[in-house]
Amino acid sequence: MEERILYNLLQVVVVVGLSPLVGGVLDRLKEIVQSKRGPSVFQPYRDIWKLLHKDEIVSEESTWLFRATPYVAFVAPIFVTLLIPVLTRYPLFFAFMGDMLGGGFVLALGGFFVALAAVDGANPYGTMGASRTRMVGFLAEPVFIIVFFTVSFVAGSTIPYIVQSVWINPLSNFFAPSHVLTMLAFLMLILAEDARIPVDNPSGHFELAMIDKSKALEYSGRGAALMKWAGSMKLFVLAIIFLNVLVTPWGLAESTAPGEVLLAIPLVLFKVLLFLLVLVVVESSLAKLRLFRITEFLGAAFITSVVALATSASGI
Amino acid sequence: MELIALLLIPAAVAGLSLVLDHKRAAVVTLAGNAVVLALAVLVAKRATDAGAASALGGWLSCDPLGALILLLVAFVGLTSALFSGGYIRGHSASAGSARRNYYPLYNLFLLSMLAVPVLANIALVWIAVALTTLTSAFLVAYEDTSEALEAAWKYVVLTTLGAVVALLGILFLYWGTRLAGGEEFTWAGLLAAAPGIPAPVLWMGFLLVLVGFGTKAGLAPMHTWLPDAHSQAPASVCALLSGVETTTALYVVLRLFPVLEAAGGTQARPWFLVFGLVSAGAAALLLVYVRDYKRMFAFSTIEHMGIIMVAVGLGGTAHFGAVFQIVTHALAKSFGFYAAGAVLLATGTQEIASVRGLSRTAPATALALLFGGLAIAGAPPFAVFMSEFAIIKAGIDAGRYLVVGLLALFVVIAFCALMQHVSRMVFGPASRDRPAIVPPASCLAALALAAAPILLLGIYLPDGLHRLLAAAALALGATP
Amino acid sequence: MGAAMTPYLVHLNAMTGGLFLLAAFAIVATRQMSACLRWFVAQSLLLTASAAVIGIGLGSGHLAAVAVITFLTKVVVTPWLLRRTVRRELYSRREISQVFNIPTSLLIAAALTLLAYGVLYPVTALGVGAFAAINLPVGLAGLFLGAYTVAVRREALAQLIGLLGMENGAFLAAVSIAHDLPLIAELAAAFDVLVTALVIGLLTRRIYDRVGGTSVGLLDALRER
Repeated sequence: MEERILYNLLQVVVVVGLSPLVGGVLDRLKEIVQSKRGPSVFQPYRDIWKLLHKDEIVSEESTWLFRATPYVAFVAPIFVTLLIPVLTRYPLFFAFMGDMLGGGFVLALGGFFVALAAVDGANPYGTMGASRTRMVGFLAEPVFIIVFFTVSFVAGSTIPYIVQSVWINPLSNFFAPSHVLTMLAFLMLILAEDARIPVDNPSGHFELAMIDKSKALEYSGRGAALMKWAGSMKLFVLAIIFLNVLVTPWGLAESTAPGEVLLAIPLVLFKVLLFLLVLVVVESSLAKLRLFRITEFLGAAFITSVVALATSASGI
Repeated sequence: MELIALLLIPAAVAGLSLVLDHKRAAVVTLAGNAVVLALAVLVAKRATDAGAASALGGWLSCDPLGALILLLVAFVGLTSALFSGGYIRGHSASAGSARRNYYPLYNLFLLSMLAVPVLANIALVWIAVALTTLTSAFLVAYEDTSEALEAAWKYVVLTTLGAVVALLGILFLYWGTRLAGGEEFTWAGLLAAAPGIPAPVLWMGFLLVLVGFGTKAGLAPMHTWLPDAHSQAPASVCALLSGVETTTALYVVLRLFPVLEAAGGTQARPWFLVFGLVSAGAAALLLVYVRDYKRMFAFSTIEHMGIIMVAVGLGGTAHFGAVFQIVTHALAKSFGFYAAGAVLLATGTQEIASVRGLSRTAPATALALLFGGLAIAGAPPFAVFMSEFAIIKAGIDAGRYLVVGLLALFVVIAFCALMQHVSRMVFGPASRDRPAIVPPASCLAALALAAAPILLLGIYLPDGLHRLLAAAALALGATP
Repeated sequence: MGAAMTPYLVHLNAMTGGLFLLAAFAIVATRQMSACLRWFVAQSLLLTASAAVIGIGLGSGHLAAVAVITFLTKVVVTPWLLRRTVRRELYSRREISQVFNIPTSLLIAAALTLLAYGVLYPVTALGVGAFAAINLPVGLAGLFLGAYTVAVRREALAQLIGLLGMENGAFLAAVSIAHDLPLIAELAAAFDVLVTALVIGLLTRRIYDRVGGTSVGLLDALRER
């Protein structure tokens, strides 16, 4: 019983602590693919450390929203971490506090606050970024819902721990179209939600073309550090959901032995690394879409999820 | 034996026409077609007497209904080959290569149409129907104008679309036959297995084939390609397209009628009636507004396909009228297009409004056009009148007053529209004073040859033909 | 093949079916002609895979032959024919404006897929076996989507590929319900596909040479005025 609480907290520590590393590895990999050397994988830690020690400047015209948002954005992925399987295959203490839809809503809450804060800061680029994020978000919502509906329909439950075991019992379920196509749709969703190419360029500097980064432009000092950390945590959490819930539960601890749980940490990191490789290939081979073509991209994701639903509804 | 020769001869002629020059190719085609017609008559006799003619161990087989279609294809093929001789040479200054391809394509087209009633396996019948479209694509595009190409494009794309839909339907029917334990996928095998086919499978197959091949036969509302294709092609090709190609597609649909009746119930009849009436009605209305006389004949094709569908849907004694209508329509429609082709040669325009006083400028052509218009509209004493009369009489005997009333109304509207257009072209003052234009000799010969049966059948039905028609109607499921 | 393999095969076949459907959607939505052709090749590959999987599942050597024939005609010869008969510059055309914009087209296509499932419900309710339960609806949906492509696209190549996609759908359904059709019929059907591609390809070239463009959907000179 105690170990379940312990492991739950361990999950949070792992996510909070290792997400900047994941961000750093991703950036380094992208640079390597482009034949450059790239920054050290620990650079995000140094950036966060530096920002935490700088002064914070907050506009007088902004409200409590602007000041509170970095904390909300930082805490939201932590709450989601409590709900999803990160290290163990069996449900932990907080597992039944919320299901996948609940987790989705909590993540959306963080994004909601960030968008509002961007408008609150009155930076014109921030407002533009917020409205564009909303456009992408409202088109992505139906895809989320249908993906979650499909996996819940197949698994008979909405709790992530139960859903993840469906894909390997029996093993042939791994190849079911409802599995493969939901993976594909969710991957496209991650690209949209986390503002990766082809939806947005995360390493771009041109504010007029930004969708996601411009919302955090106004922050400085501690606020900027928390926003940056929250961004990498969001990527890590989405990757964990994708890998541990939708793709496969391999590499997770089966028993409550502490050795197994600690062993799961590098295994999960390894899985995340493979995911990052896929992400890097996708990002390096596609070009950023024009703004109104994003609707077509999300339309394709929607269609993929609908087809997944249709093929699973036919009884296979 | 004749069946194999029937298919080999057009293939051989097609090959020969590739190497021969245009004039000799025309002669070879004509000779080949004459032999094919003779063979078709022999097959028809065998089918009427013995019930079926077969060859190649059952891969080729022809029952009376098939033999009837075969006979029509062969006859219209002959008259069209005769007409082509003068028409193609005298017509547009088409480039040498296009002219060189005419006869090979013509013979391949004829071969594919001959194959439809003769092949026994229904899947192969589908392939033959699909090939009729593909072989005639470049015949429709012969004129090489942008309108002709547009017509050819719509023709190929829409009829192939219909053919693929029908393919799925035929696959359903095959599956149903296997589920019912049937061994052979021939018309007879399908009919025998029909009571055992699960109803959803049978209906799915039927509806897909109806819509798919109905598109190819020109039934409304899938007819939009027909007026374009059948007006832009050269007149000899139009005669084949309108006269027999749509008939071969309709033949496949009609073959399913007894299958559905055997499976239990007359529920298929409303489908035939509705499609038929909608086609006849739409065509009649469109005939009022038409401005191009070849399109006029094309709309008339749609109308007649509708009439045949209605006749089959009425059931019983109307089936004799239906098969008779198939014959008379093929004869009259091909004649009508030959007349239209002669008018085009004489005036150089396809617009009705531009042709006036034809009786003064080209009397032989005018006579042909008047004859053709009357014949296809269904005036006595021409053959079409006899078949339409037979259908309406059978409908009244069966008590289907509403259906017959609507059909008669549409026929009358079409008649009036056709006669108004034709009389405006034939009578009246001439547009200008020119010496009388006479069509080329082979065109005149074709017109004469095509006219003979239309007149003959309007007055007297030869015994052999009567027996063939009765046997064909029986194949459709008529009560003897 | 042991019974242990069958669930794998069923799922594999279902996956090829799902990806086939995705390829059909992609053909509806792709702007560039060369991408359309590539999606068609992908769809044909998936058709071959489905035939092979069902062949293994049912132990039918016939289907193996069908898979080989399909591969040769649709994946190898037909694209080659299309590239030879249609002029090269036509492949770099992009169809910017369609009758409906792409998201609307995708929604209509999704509705057509659901329609295909609904229409076939009386048939699949009869209990048709796991392979046909996927191939029939997906095949019919592929047919509908191909027909929709022909209806709303204006470019000649897009209409042609829609037509070929329709045939792919019909063949996908055939593989599961008509898997013992006489081989000669299969060969003739494959030949017919080739001839279709050849004829329409040549016609497209003729239209391009004569009219100067291939937006055949915009040709409407022939109508009653």
